[in-house]
Amino acid sequence: MKFSGLRLYTILYLVFLYAPILLLPLFAFNDSKVIAFPLSGFTTAWFAEMWADTQLHNALKNSLIVASSAAILATTFGVFAARASTRFNFPYKAGIMGLVMLPLVLPEMIVAMALLIVLLAMGVNLSIFTIILGHVLICTPFAVAILSSAFQSLDKSLEEAAYDLGETPLSTFRLIILPLVMPGIVSSLLISFTISLDEFIIAFFLGGNQTTLSVYIFGQFRFPAKVPSIMALGTILVLLSIVLLSIAEFFRRRGLARSGTKDTGGFL
Amino acid sequence: MAAPGARPAQTMIEFRDVHKYYGDYHALRGITATIRAGEFFSLLGPSGCGKTTLLRTIAGFEGISSGVVLIDGKDVAAVPANKRPTNMVFQSYAIFPHLTVEQNVGFGLRREGLSKEALAARVAEALEMVGLKGYGARAAHALSGGQRQRVALARALILKPKVLLLDEPLSALDKKMREQMQVELIRLQRQVGITFILVTHDQEEALVMSDRIAVMFEGEIAQLADPETLYRRPNSKKVADFIGTMNFLPASILSESDGQIEVEAKGFGRVTLAADQAPGAATGGEAMVGFRPETLTILFDGQQATDRETMATIEEVVYYGDMTYYDVKLDGMDSATRISMRNVFGRPVLDIGTRTRIAWSPGALVLFR
Repeated sequence: MKFSGLRLYTILYLVFLYAPILLLPLFAFNDSKVIAFPLSGFTTAWFAEMWADTQLHNALKNSLIVASSAAILATTFGVFAARASTRFNFPYKAGIMGLVMLPLVLPEMIVAMALLIVLLAMGVNLSIFTIILGHVLICTPFAVAILSSAFQSLDKSLEEAAYDLGETPLSTFRLIILPLVMPGIVSSLLISFTISLDEFIIAFFLGGNQTTLSVYIFGQFRFPAKVPSIMALGTILVLLSIVLLSIAEFFRRRGLARSGTKDTGGFL
Repeated sequence: MAAPGARPAQTMIEFRDVHKYYGDYHALRGITATIRAGEFFSLLGPSGCGKTTLLRTIAGFEGISSGVVLIDGKDVAAVPANKRPTNMVFQSYAIFPHLTVEQNVGFGLRREGLSKEALAARVAEALEMVGLKGYGARAAHALSGGQRQRVALARALILKPKVLLLDEPLSALDKKMREQMQVELIRLQRQVGITFILVTHDQEEALVMSDRIAVMFEGEIAQLADPETLYRRPNSKKVADFIGTMNFLPASILSESDGQIEVEAKGFGRVTLAADQAPGAATGGEAMVGFRPETLTILFDGQQATDRETMATIEEVVYYGDMTYYDVKLDGMDSATRISMRNVFGRPVLDIGTRTRIAWSPGALVLFR
């Protein structure tokens, strides 16, 4: 094999990107409280210790509620926005869609601070509902991007054909459009869920005394003794993220295959 | 072309001064026409001429800006597409990819509340009609282009519409398949007796399939006639050019009286034309006579002209296998015109420069003025 400069660069790049993540499971199963080489032995004790912490249960419950709600809301808004932008023309369409997609590139810190100031000024109590609010904001652009590609690949004459065959606009949506974009919807739900589950800054700023998983993990890092069990939790989260994103990609590709269009690139 | 006669002459579709604007763009400019019940009618024209827009106003997918569209005597302005007695075969076929062939074909019957058995029987009948017997359980996305076409036909015809609308249904098929489907569509139309309205940009397809054809340019119907009249007596140079090939020669009108037009044309000399040989309205432009390439015939040794005869020089020869095209310069003419000859076994293809006798007939000339 030829080792050109570019090849070396690629390998270094990938090592830098993924090696730290590989350390998570390594130390999660290492029989030592100290995170350092050499490894001393195999254990699953950290997983048991992790689960024994009741604070984790609460954080997990909060995270699941937040991520599910954010995923459903963001996807619902995404369906409306994607349908509108792919099928209709309206004044200032480009500008409006730009604003919808803006949170994608807006620093999360800015979003979190701005929301916090507004919510406090309005006298809203911080809770998991305020986290959901923030997460919907950052998940919606992802949902719109995924769903736009699903709606875009839908041949307009399919709708006209259903309408021509006697269906109403509503039943056409239910019988034709929805089944054909369903893979996109599932994909959008899963990706929004994953983004919300991993998100830290907004959850930290807007959560009040409610912690999500990410905030819980950050808190636990203050105690060196807790680090191995956090490694265990991290291992589980990495696996979960990979599984969810793989399922999302599977559905996205199936959707493209169904509508018989070419793949124009997704998130994986 | 379908056999004439035996057709009820009632009107199925009527357009009365239909206009359609897209913003400033005037897509339909005063369409007035009638389409008879049970006929195979084609809207023929180049892309952007408004033929598809006109078809979609019948389906109800496009509203009109002014005028009236009547379907079977009823003004359909307030009738939405899903309530109109029309069904459409789309250019992309619009087969629902997530359903089976059976579910696609039976889609429109869902609302009729048929029993499972009755529904299955109707679907099977429709599939058999289009030559897809036994394909019901197939997934729609696994079909070939020709099969999709047939599913789309079965799906539209199963509802027994008063009018079947076909939006360039054959344009995506290869030549062989297209010719086969043309024949099948004609057979199907005779079998079901439903009014078929076909949109096409292919003049040959329109000539082959239609009882009558409306030739459209820039949002207007230029000529509406049966295929033979369109071909033999086009009412403008534009129509003549769009349908087949026509040679044009400058001419001058000498006199006109009693349905007789006396014309002087280069190469042909002085000829008398009947009134129906000048089907177009006078435009005030330079007068021309036109003739189709096959109306002039090269006379070989021993052959006699049945009407007129003149001498010509062959300037170019294009051999097509079954046909040969000759560019010939008739004596007295400034430039060459194209004529076509069917090749007959044992008869030579003539060389460039050959002097030959040509048979022609004043009856084949069309006058444009």
